[in-house]
Amino acid sequence: MNRSRVAVSLLAIVLALVIQTTVFGAGGIEPLGVAPAFVTLVVIAIGPYVEAEYHVLLGFTAGILMDLMGSGTLGLWAMTLTIVAYATVRLRERFNEGIVLTGFLVFSLTLMGQLIFVTVGTLFGQEVAADTSVVAKVILPAVWNLVLAIPVVWGLALVFNQRDRRWAT
Amino acid sequence: MATTSGRRLNRVTVLFFSLLAIGFLIATFDVRSDGGNVANVMREGTQSIFTPLQKSVDWVASPVVGFVDGVANLAGLRAETERLQDRVRELEADSREVGAIEEQVIQLELIAGVDAPEELPTVTARIYASGPTAFDNVRYIDKGANDGIVVGQAVLDEDGLIGRVDLVSANDARIRLITDPIVSVGVRVQATNETGVVSGRGDGPLRLEMFRATLPVTEGDLVITDGSRFPPGIVVGSISDTAEAEVGFVLRSSVRPAARFSQVDYVKVIIGWSALDADLQDGVVDSSATTTVAPTTTTTTSEG
Repeated sequence: MNRSRVAVSLLAIVLALVIQTTVFGAGGIEPLGVAPAFVTLVVIAIGPYVEAEYHVLLGFTAGILMDLMGSGTLGLWAMTLTIVAYATVRLRERFNEGIVLTGFLVFSLTLMGQLIFVTVGTLFGQEVAADTSVVAKVILPAVWNLVLAIPVVWGLALVFNQRDRRWAT
Repeated sequence: MATTSGRRLNRVTVLFFSLLAIGFLIATFDVRSDGGNVANVMREGTQSIFTPLQKSVDWVASPVVGFVDGVANLAGLRAETERLQDRVRELEADSREVGAIEEQVIQLELIAGVDAPEELPTVTARIYASGPTAFDNVRYIDKGANDGIVVGQAVLDEDGLIGRVDLVSANDARIRLITDPIVSVGVRVQATNETGVVSGRGDGPLRLEMFRATLPVTEGDLVITDGSRFPPGIVVGSISDTAEAEVGFVLRSSVRPAARFSQVDYVKVIIGWSALDADLQDGVVDSSATTTVAPTTTTTTSEG
């Protein structure tokens, strides 16, 4: 069952990456000029459904895929999303304590991820901190993820619970 | 039970730090190799796997995205229509003047015996995806090496320079936008004919630095490529801050890009020009009085 959950999570990450680069890409849906951090949101949202080790590995995989699809130094998003996944592992029990707390966790973890990327990127000479819109690019994805948290968390819960029921029968 | 849980957490923590170390090593290797061959092969491989998925999702989602975009911009549409109507009237007037000037130029060229270079060949491509984060200043286009595209070629939209090709596979290519902080473009301020370098700042106006400027730059002055890395005469943008030139100091100003990066669906890649051509041309042509034809329809005359 766990292997199946990991496979579904990996599929969700790949789909999130495709949506991020097309629907939420340039010329797509970018409210106030900045798109949601959709891959980060999916990495957080799969937290309660996969084992801790797999979740950290999935965070790293999502990050390395983002690095390969992006224009920056390889490994920066891998490190960032590994940290986000690890933080989610440590806080996973809190996701069952209501919708408000889940929203707050999604917002905080996305914001943390964006801040870590800016810091790590600057350390590796990416000049991300010199970006004139750096504040908007750090805060707005966290806000949009807060808005998207409800449908994404609910959608993934539906997928995982249906799979579990199928496995049980 | 607590011990098992604690042991698992320890295992997760060990795995976490191991992955962080791997990420750090990958980043260090990539920085040291300056985006070398291995990284590029991996990027090309990943892109070729994702391209069919991205094109499918783009095909399915683009009408929905267009509808959402239209609804979001409904309030501004009337004002935009009026602004565009005014602009069309202005351009019609300009076009009549330009027509007369073009005739004069043709006659002068005939008198001087100068053959104007032919229009450079271009490939039109569609943008189907962008980078995964707001910090990635890249776009993916649906034309690649099979269409004559190679790394380094200039990419334009109808308003001006967008960027350069920076990764090519058989049927796709990646463009790095001029807004990327690592991209620098050699430019010439048309009003003063002095050269400088424009570099990206992620978003918003570009940074202009002119190391040997003797004349001031004024807001609205047109900035075009100087022909060092891109074909000469492509519009990059216009000066957004007036700045005075001081002897011994670098003139610093900002350039408002002409291209509309977030609204571009189609681009043109100039496939018939490379920086090597510019070097060869510099070697045989007297640069003090050159007539260059921009790859689009803009004609630029520079005087030394």
